[in-house]
Amino acid sequence: MTQKQRARLGSLAFYLGNTLVALIFVSPLIWMVSSSLKPESGIFKGLNSLSTFIPQGASLNNYQEVFQRINMWKFIGNSLFYVLVIIILDLFINSICGYALAKFEFKGKNALLTLVISLMVFPAEAIMLPMYREMADLGWINTWASLIVPFVAKCFSIYMFRQFFMDVPNDLLEAASIDGCGPVKTFFTVVLPISGTVYATIFILDFVAHWNDFMWPLLVVTGEEKRTIQLAIQTFFGSKPINYGPIMASLTISAIPMLIMFLFLQKYYVEGIASTGIKG
Amino acid sequence: MKKKIAAVLLSAMLISGLCMGCGQVKERVNEAGESVITVWSPSDEPAIEQWWEEKIAEFNEAHKGSIHLQREAIVRADSYAYEDKVNAAITSNDLPDILFVDGPNVSVYAANEITLPLDDFFTQEDWDDFLDSSKNQNTYDGKIYAVGATESSVALYYNRDMIEEAGIRIPETKEEAWTWTEFYDAAAKLTKDGVVGTNIIMDKGEGLPYVLEQFWISNGTDFVSEDGSRADGYINSKEGVEAAEFLNRFIQDGYANIDPIQKEFHNERAATMLGGSWEVATLENDYPDLNWGVTYFPVADDGGIPTSPTGDWVASVTKNVQDMDAVKEVMNFLFSKENVTTYAKAISKPPTRISSYDVLTEYNEYPRSIFKEQLMETGHPRPRTPSYSVLSAGFSEAMLNIFTGVDAQTALNEAAAATDKDYNKYYSGE
Amino acid sequence: MQKAINKKSERTAAYLFVVPAVVLLAAFLIYPALQTIRYAFTDYNIMRPDRIKFSGINNFIELFQDKNFWIAVKNTLHFTVLVVPFQTALALALALLISSRRRGVSIFRAAYFSPQVTSMVVVAILWTVLYNSNPDSGLLNALLVKLGMEPCGFLNDPKTSMNSIIFMSAWQGAGYQMMIFLAGLQGIPKEQYEAASIDGAGKVKSFFYVTLPGLKNVIQYVIMITVIQAMKLFTQPYVMTKGGPQNSTRTLVYYVYEQGFQKRNFGYACAVAAVFFVIVISLSLGMKKIIKAD
Repeated sequence: MTQKQRARLGSLAFYLGNTLVALIFVSPLIWMVSSSLKPESGIFKGLNSLSTFIPQGASLNNYQEVFQRINMWKFIGNSLFYVLVIIILDLFINSICGYALAKFEFKGKNALLTLVISLMVFPAEAIMLPMYREMADLGWINTWASLIVPFVAKCFSIYMFRQFFMDVPNDLLEAASIDGCGPVKTFFTVVLPISGTVYATIFILDFVAHWNDFMWPLLVVTGEEKRTIQLAIQTFFGSKPINYGPIMASLTISAIPMLIMFLFLQKYYVEGIASTGIKG
Repeated sequence: MKKKIAAVLLSAMLISGLCMGCGQVKERVNEAGESVITVWSPSDEPAIEQWWEEKIAEFNEAHKGSIHLQREAIVRADSYAYEDKVNAAITSNDLPDILFVDGPNVSVYAANEITLPLDDFFTQEDWDDFLDSSKNQNTYDGKIYAVGATESSVALYYNRDMIEEAGIRIPETKEEAWTWTEFYDAAAKLTKDGVVGTNIIMDKGEGLPYVLEQFWISNGTDFVSEDGSRADGYINSKEGVEAAEFLNRFIQDGYANIDPIQKEFHNERAATMLGGSWEVATLENDYPDLNWGVTYFPVADDGGIPTSPTGDWVASVTKNVQDMDAVKEVMNFLFSKENVTTYAKAISKPPTRISSYDVLTEYNEYPRSIFKEQLMETGHPRPRTPSYSVLSAGFSEAMLNIFTGVDAQTALNEAAAATDKDYNKYYSGE
Repeated sequence: MQKAINKKSERTAAYLFVVPAVVLLAAFLIYPALQTIRYAFTDYNIMRPDRIKFSGINNFIELFQDKNFWIAVKNTLHFTVLVVPFQTALALALALLISSRRRGVSIFRAAYFSPQVTSMVVVAILWTVLYNSNPDSGLLNALLVKLGMEPCGFLNDPKTSMNSIIFMSAWQGAGYQMMIFLAGLQGIPKEQYEAASIDGAGKVKSFFYVTLPGLKNVIQYVIMITVIQAMKLFTQPYVMTKGGPQNSTRTLVYYVYEQGFQKRNFGYACAVAAVFFVIVISLSLGMKKIIKAD
């Protein structure tokens, strides 16, 4: 076997192997899209064979029904709005906190770091009701504030930012300081411009986490004005009998923004994690 | 510097907010001086959403200057989501005036003084027009706490081709309903070539008690005592254990699937199914090629009690009401003869008013007549107990455990103990 | 002199930078958590906010005798102990699969990450179908039978249900850790592989002598975040098994939800949550030691 043949074989194995594994990973997505194109009676037919992944008699009827029944654009807009506001505030507030934890000396620093790390593990499900009461006491029920403000500060983000900023060379900061930059200015003019990757990373993580929010919006939001996309999708589960065609169609639509975001940001994502993870 | 001020302001705002304490009750009057009445009900299919729009417009037009009716469609998802939302509103004293609840929850909310009795909302003549099955379900401690427009029932659907090929008798009248033994033998005969004999609802949720309680009733017992205060000696009685063991035979012998695929019957993978009245419309619309029929709910051997499930979402009036007269007006409007009829027609479910059946003549004809007959003659609502949520979850869990090998008596004992514990903790001392 | 001024302005800046996050964390994480602990000492029934009575340590006494609570502890540990190594290994394998620089790698990368962005509704429906215990309905069992094996109960057998959830969770979550490993692999200098190759090391050997040691820190980090996620397991049992059969998939967080919301036993649920807090905080303090060690 020549060198060339061997390389060919290697590349064949690479593509074959990866395609096979990739199919296993994307099969639910394929099934979702293919089901969304099927008539209702076809969705749960032949589930024990691979033909279930191929839509026969494909049509866009389910999509039509979705847009007829609910104001999809408005709900996507609502979700984009509150998720993006959370992310922007998260990026700002948690990055400066993470930076302080990484680069500044101050009283209580160690205690704060311990707190951040131990709070990372808190499950939202366990504190949901007290949190709801708090929202009611603040008069925030049915406002954007209740969807946004409680989720801005995130221990996980603070920790990720800290890990990233730890690696920013001190020489760089000292140079800025000698040039007469105060610590605040140094952060915004010197550190921020070289930190795009970690911001992209947190952006993706936050987006994935909040785009699928269901329980909390359900509790605090009533009515269509601020209804989120996930709540809207659940309206199709409302009354018996449940029709899965429109559900699959609306899930497909709701996955699109996330896929777009991932494809755009994945390059930064890898680099961003590289810079926070390796020093883990 | 600005940031510092912002931070201080933010924290001041938060702290003052936290100290404010309990939320104030909102005044339920709008700028036009109209009393605002809010309804919460599950978001529903298009025909019903449209019904609400039309009726609310009609009502508001007729009550201009005095009452303004509005409805919030709440996502129901798997019924628990809706309940979580209501639970949250209870903690903040922020319930709507009129709250739709699932049938068995009527007693739960009534016992906790969340909802109010409605006995004087309607005239006796009106009450007499409502089906007993519906009134039964909505009664707690001798008073009526809710009123509904539609009912539901469950009967035995069958695949006509398969049944005829197997030469199995199809009951024509209520008296000829299959006995349990016949049901089991039919399922055994019909199981072949990848088709199971029957489909037992296995949603791991509310569907289980809704459908399967009938096996307890038919065998001469029930889930709880008449007054709802005791499960021990009922759900786990000798008759109850028999019912559970009977159901378990279908699973163990492979005549029913422990986790049936969606629409198993519709796709001809199950020969029969204990299915709800709402399936008629689905089968007619989406599965025109399926040759199906429907017959009465099976009855226990040797003179078991003929029975069938009932119950649907109903409207109740909460303790947060401010303008009771306006609410009464709204309720009388929503549940008038005409509106019960139009609502039932829109959602294609059996109406709760007897007079509606004069208009909705399709219920005099097969297959819908089966459900009407069951509702009027054999319907039994789910147990009326303030501990229903614990009972329901406990029962679903017990059945799943029995189907996966736990002794029926042991599993049902646990469900009974959990239910009684909840009742004794929260409701017995009152 | 200059240094002292620097120190002072640094301290001011530090407080400026941490205050917003600290205030928000205090208001929306610590305050509700403290409330949860407060309710743990009451008989709060979710329907009766007007009738909350202090009940001392009754909830905790009940809790320590509650068989289901201990099962939930055991299940949570079972899940964590198995899913962490499995998911980490799977993620590493995926990363190695696409670590070479070839055309189309980004497509595979997106594919392996895609379960992360797929709705849990779709994932749950499809995996319930895959796992269906009837070979006539379930793809996996159809395969097993074709291979001449006995069909498996998967989610419906208490012996296999948790492992089925572990397998599925690893499949869903591995894409995220894979991204971290990819980044880590890029950080290992090429020369090390070349040196190993000159020494006559094959692929397997160089994996053990170059790749693994080079990834030591990354592996630590991945394990930490996987443990955090694993301890919080809730969604999968909630949508797929409702904690059953026979308690086999009831986790601590699921138990908190079940008791607090579904069964309305809120005070008791808060007691479970409080114990959960203690467990996870001691765990994360342990992890902090590992983090500090770098």
